[in-house]
Amino acid sequence: MRFTQSFAPALLVLAGVAQAASSWGFDDGTLSVVAKKGGAGVKEKITSKSPLSKPVTLGSTDTLKLVLSATDNGKGKRPHQAFLVLKQQDTGLEAPFPLTVKETGKAVVQISHKDLPVQFLLASEPLQASVVIGSFGSAKPLDTPVFSVNIETDPAIPPPAYEKPVRYGKKAEIHHIFRPDPKSPPAVISVVFALAVVAALPALFVGWLLLGANVNHLTKAIGTAPISHAAFFGSIVAMEFVFFLYFTTWNLFQALPVLIGVSTVTILSGSKALGEVQRRRLAGER
Amino acid sequence: MRSLFSLFVFLFAVSVSAVSTTGNRLLAILDDVADKENYSKFLGDLASRGFELTFETPKSETLALFHLGERKYDHVIFFPTKTKGLGPNLTPNILVQFLNANGNVLVTLSSGVVAPNSLVSFLAELDIQLPVDRTGLVVDHFNYDTASAADLHDVLLLPPPTAVRSDIKNLFGAGAPADSVVAFPRGVGAALGASELLTPIVRAPRTAYSYNPKEQAEVVDDLFGAGEQLSLVSSFQALNSARLVLLGSAELLQDKWLDEAEVTKVDGKKAKTFNREFAKRLSAWAFQELGVLRVNWIEHRLDEAGGSNETNPKIYRIKNKVSYTISLSEYAYDTWSAFNVPTNDVLQLEFSMLSPFHRLPLSFDKTRSTKDAAAYTTTFVLPDQHGIFNFKINYKRPFLSNVEEKNTVSVRHMAHNEWPRSFAISGAWPWIAGIAVTVTGWIGFCALWLYSAPPTDKKKQTKKTQ
Repeated sequence: MRFTQSFAPALLVLAGVAQAASSWGFDDGTLSVVAKKGGAGVKEKITSKSPLSKPVTLGSTDTLKLVLSATDNGKGKRPHQAFLVLKQQDTGLEAPFPLTVKETGKAVVQISHKDLPVQFLLASEPLQASVVIGSFGSAKPLDTPVFSVNIETDPAIPPPAYEKPVRYGKKAEIHHIFRPDPKSPPAVISVVFALAVVAALPALFVGWLLLGANVNHLTKAIGTAPISHAAFFGSIVAMEFVFFLYFTTWNLFQALPVLIGVSTVTILSGSKALGEVQRRRLAGER
Repeated sequence: MRSLFSLFVFLFAVSVSAVSTTGNRLLAILDDVADKENYSKFLGDLASRGFELTFETPKSETLALFHLGERKYDHVIFFPTKTKGLGPNLTPNILVQFLNANGNVLVTLSSGVVAPNSLVSFLAELDIQLPVDRTGLVVDHFNYDTASAADLHDVLLLPPPTAVRSDIKNLFGAGAPADSVVAFPRGVGAALGASELLTPIVRAPRTAYSYNPKEQAEVVDDLFGAGEQLSLVSSFQALNSARLVLLGSAELLQDKWLDEAEVTKVDGKKAKTFNREFAKRLSAWAFQELGVLRVNWIEHRLDEAGGSNETNPKIYRIKNKVSYTISLSEYAYDTWSAFNVPTNDVLQLEFSMLSPFHRLPLSFDKTRSTKDAAAYTTTFVLPDQHGIFNFKINYKRPFLSNVEEKNTVSVRHMAHNEWPRSFAISGAWPWIAGIAVTVTGWIGFCALWLYSAPPTDKKKQTKKTQ
């Protein structure tokens, strides 16, 4: 079966030689755009020599009609292939519309919006239309641009939805947007207010001195209860020092036992030291 | 007798040559086992590449793709068969199962032979449509072999395939001699659906069209497909990287078209066919010898001065600087070589929790690449969001096997002692000064309360009042 298939063309070559050098073309090409509601419409003559200079416009209710007579060496004949091919310029997408051809070669095709693929309805540039005529045998086929057509959509009707098919490829890059870092006011302002706060301390001491504050009983207190007073006052200072260490380097579990030790000292020594202070008060020395 | 001899030659060749990445058991389905004489060069090429060929007819009772639930063959070739169906052993369901089980399929069609129902349904399952009546013939009155198809125009002369897109490697046509052509005799075109798993390898020229030679000999009243919408050689790669190739013209693989047969273009120039190399690449791609990727290793680590040097740790902190490296190889016939990402393509890393937070390009790392493995790397700062994240490589491209790699890590938030200290923040200075002043004032007050003597002048004043 397949062998006979391959022999057959060899025989047909001989047949083909006889009619060599003929070529396909078309005559009486007419392009018309007819509006549904009467309307004047457009009617243009088209030839295979040169395409129409201006694009025709196809509205949403219009019908584009192309009529032509296919010829083989000037004589009307029916070709096997007679297509009107519309091409979207920017994407290269093409859609063929076969012409209905009669024995005489007279061919016709009608196109309206519903025949067009969705992509064409969304095209921004005019579509390029070519006529392709070819058939078996040795006659030279024809592929020629004939006109361009502008697809006009009705603004009242929402444009058809078209979703690009998924294709594997690189995707857009994503860079995470980080939350903004916390901001501080200008350091100068912080320094000014810090100095103002620090200045409160000398103000306090000066105020106390002006009110007659003194430490004149220090020798007396140390003399009466030296260990208690040293331990009590030392433990108050030590407590603050432990807090300082906790702020800078220590963690809570380092600080807690020391705090317990220091506060035991404070309680034990405090009862004696404060007793001495009370005695002084009862003696009218405070 | 001769076929037996050549089978022995094949079997001998198997033992000496390397083979596909997924196995070498190849089943060829033919109408008549004697038909394989027509394809002896193509089958000889396959055998010399190490495939172990088994020939069966659809009617054979011993034919089965699975044995005890396991695949019996790694690859299947369908040559055109005249039977209407393919029998109970090759139902569309079994063929889909075969793909699901990582088996590869090469389907060849011929316009002279009506495609079996089973194959048509199987292809429809993959969103590949064949012409109605299961047969068609692609002709092009502009590009045909004037020597063998002067009248019927059904031997198409196609330029060697080019890359479908600019970011895809041209696996099938690269390196073809400039004036060579792929002869596509008496083939069937298919229409591909919109699925991303389908990629045409060879599209019909823009003036070609498909018709039914039996019913549309005079007039093409109902056009199945024309121009580049018609796919002559199509590929399908499933998510598990199992492959299917649909070759519209089985005759392309026959001996008379395979060697550098001479054809005459329409303009009278003679040209050599590229068919043998094309058939080799096509079968090599279908049977996982070409375009197969392998991940050698993946490594991620902290990229911070003084940080831990642990490879692939389980946990990171937010805003850590992290480097990620992946090593990939590509297989070609018998060797693994370094995988080079095609020119306009990039390998991308996603760092994702539900949706990607980062999608970054990976760049080639020369220092960590070798001759047979290419390393790709990137360094980035983790997002400021804690949770369970994935380093994800999702490299799916036409004609390359799928790479999908996921490495899960935890990203923890900042520990309390990882923040900047308060004294390093200028806004905190007044507050720290406040604490210092309070502490000093408290100690001063304690000293005063414990040791202050009543002021002497005040004493006099009190005496006076008394």
